[in-house]
Amino acid sequence: MMASFVSGAAARLIPSVVAIVDGAERGSGGAGIAWGASGFIVTNAHVATHRDVTVMAADGRRARGSVVARDARRDLAVVRAGGLELPGAPTGDPARLRPGALVFAVGHPFGVQDAISAGVLQAVGRLPRGFAVNGRGTHAWVQADVRLAPGNSGGPLADAAGLVIGVAAMIVGGLALAVPAPDVDALVATVT
Amino acid sequence: MSDEQSTLIALSDQLADAVAKAGASLVAVHARPRLPSTGLHWRDGVVVTTEATVRRDSDIEVTLPDGSRTSATLVGRDRGTDLALLRIAPGRLPVAPLGDPARLQPGHLVLALARLDGTAPRAAFGAVSATGGRWRCWKGGEIDLLVQSDLSLYPGFGGGPLVDASGRVQGINSGGLSRPLATTIPVGTVNRVVEQLLQRGYVSRGWIGAAMQPVRFDAATRTRLQRDGGLLLLSIEPDAPAAHAGLLVGDVIVTIDGVPLDTPDQLRDRLAGDVVGSSLKLELARGGTIVTSEVRIGERPRSRQ
Repeated sequence: MMASFVSGAAARLIPSVVAIVDGAERGSGGAGIAWGASGFIVTNAHVATHRDVTVMAADGRRARGSVVARDARRDLAVVRAGGLELPGAPTGDPARLRPGALVFAVGHPFGVQDAISAGVLQAVGRLPRGFAVNGRGTHAWVQADVRLAPGNSGGPLADAAGLVIGVAAMIVGGLALAVPAPDVDALVATVT
Repeated sequence: MSDEQSTLIALSDQLADAVAKAGASLVAVHARPRLPSTGLHWRDGVVVTTEATVRRDSDIEVTLPDGSRTSATLVGRDRGTDLALLRIAPGRLPVAPLGDPARLQPGHLVLALARLDGTAPRAAFGAVSATGGRWRCWKGGEIDLLVQSDLSLYPGFGGGPLVDASGRVQGINSGGLSRPLATTIPVGTVNRVVEQLLQRGYVSRGWIGAAMQPVRFDAATRTRLQRDGGLLLLSIEPDAPAAHAGLLVGDVIVTIDGVPLDTPDQLRDRLAGDVVGSSLKLELARGGTIVTSEVRIGERPRSRQ
């Protein structure tokens, strides 16, 4: 029952999700999202490691893209890709969600196109003591109990309403971490 | 917005409500280095957590849902069921809403909850993967019901509750009882252990002080004694109930209270629960004949718990 509802919400998101192919994530590539009304695609900095990347839409169309902003500390990159005309995914602030709220990730784990994994929100904020690694404990993260794999990086983490609340970035101690949407908005806003 | 989507949002809200409801009784337990574990306010002034996460006997603190820290004292621990009991000042937070885990079935949606600090509770989500009757975990404790789920117990989730989709507590999650699956010590077992820890600070277990192994008789003995086999006594501790009853190394226990023995578990089951001081009527194969004996069940020394 729940599976079909989740797939319904995810299906609306899939046209906004792309694959980013530049060989950075070995074999699987990463994901990206057409971000709100910005006209840009957002992904992880560790996915779009080069200035020029290839962007592949869910319907198979490809385009050249170029990285127009990057924040390696936040593991974010903003990509401009002309000609794809992707529908921008609606975004929302994860801070209004409570722990236990349903979330789902769309990405290409191990190269499987547009795979969906579902789970619940654990927390929004700094990592608990004992989790922090490589200085990443100082940032706010969307922390979720949802299974991610290589290939989910840069893809959306969305809530039950289908709003993108973060950009999936990494797994720490089994916990899925995503960059909160407001932090993404802040970087996107620097590009004009 | 489609019906599908509003249903999904309603389910999402219901799960978040469940987390908030049970989360109001959730504390962080500071009784080990680095990461705290989770505890649940089981009765007023009484917090349950997992035994393995309480690494010290004093200087224990808990963080309440309002973020304040308060000191806690260790009431007792039971390694067998991986439960420990702490006492805090009464009236500080609501008592957890308890459910009936006997009604859980594979496929039911469940959440594991944790509190790692003074902020909101944390949640992991999954489904019940297996249920069953009584079982004995490798730590030796009797667990009244098997409740296994597919959810991930993240660091710090040990000692936290398994709750259903309405926020009712079904038991306490232990990461140490059967990795990698989350095992839940069901409400009934927790209540039993809480009662004993509050009464005497430890869980009393029956003991006769003998080591034994199952044997099968040869055909001639089977015919002569009309018994298939039993438990062969390999050693008897001095001053133990078995010694007082006159049991001898080499005796084979063939029946307990008139019931033929097939497995050592039958004897273990008779020694479980509130049995100390009661008697076992044994039939023993000794020197080719059957003799009877009565053993008064003692209390297992606490050093062997």
